[in-house]
Amino acid sequence: MHRIEVDAEYDVLSLNKRLAKENREFLSKHGVIAINVMGAIGSGKTLLIEKTIEALKDEVKIGAILGDVIAKDDYERVARHGVKAEPLNTGKECHLDAHLVHHVIEKFGDVDVLFIENVGNLICPVDFDLGENYRVVMVSVTEGDDVVKKHPEIFRLADVIIVNKVALAEAVGADVDKMVEDAKSLNPKAKIIKMDLKKNIGFEEWLEWLRCALRSRGE
Amino acid sequence: MHELSYAQALLDEVLRLAEENDAKRIVKIHLQIGELLLINPEQLKFCFSAISKGTIAEDAELVIEFIKPKIVCTECGREFDEVIGICDCGGIVSIEGGKDFLLKKIEMEVE
Repeated sequence: MHRIEVDAEYDVLSLNKRLAKENREFLSKHGVIAINVMGAIGSGKTLLIEKTIEALKDEVKIGAILGDVIAKDDYERVARHGVKAEPLNTGKECHLDAHLVHHVIEKFGDVDVLFIENVGNLICPVDFDLGENYRVVMVSVTEGDDVVKKHPEIFRLADVIIVNKVALAEAVGADVDKMVEDAKSLNPKAKIIKMDLKKNIGFEEWLEWLRCALRSRGE
Repeated sequence: MHELSYAQALLDEVLRLAEENDAKRIVKIHLQIGELLLINPEQLKFCFSAISKGTIAEDAELVIEFIKPKIVCTECGREFDEVIGICDCGGIVSIEGGKDFLLKKIEMEVE
């Protein structure tokens, strides 16, 4: 018995990268914009998707993939709005990956916008590219106004950062401007929106961003 | 526990290379992990030891080298150790690298 050294030079993330690339190619070929919606449990991800469907249903064709560990509740909420939707249960994992999305993506070749709601947390989904065009991170003031600073990676890599439930800020003692400043200093290029979905604050600004993303499709 | 999926992808490749080289036992696995990759090395080691039980990699040691990202102001060229978006000079800071996870080499015992 003797010992040898074998050079590997293997990218452990290569499988996810390859499948994300395939997902992206499929979406691009069919002119679909995919949006990875990330954020903590209860931050408002599903409600954002539901309200967007209602607001734009005469304008754009929307599809949705709803990731969750086991339940199908989010899927049922979204499917009720009459759009094409697919639940994706991860089983034991705390994030979606390109492989899971790859299983269902072909069903969405005929939509304009595909929302992919990730599993609710601010850490695990960050390093798994799904093949999306944009990343939207939702955070609510009830998570504490230090939450942005504590999770720099997810905010650094976001295209849109939504600070939700701003109408509750006073009640929970959260400083919305601090959250916005923290997000800006981590990610000066991101679009940052102060929102309260239940009070209709900031929602038009979100729709405007989305319409703009749709107009720049394929550029 | 997203470390489990990393550990599985790693084990698959380690065992593939072990078979290719007729290894009897895997001794050490050398990894390079970017500092910005959200991975907890202790959890990675724990997951790897759990899923490698009963394979020739079960007692292998994971040797991890952490790789720093390059964080530089695009205006004044100042370099930073920590993630930041805007430099004191007002310039946008660019961040490159620090996101890789590479299996560099494997030490194995062969006949």
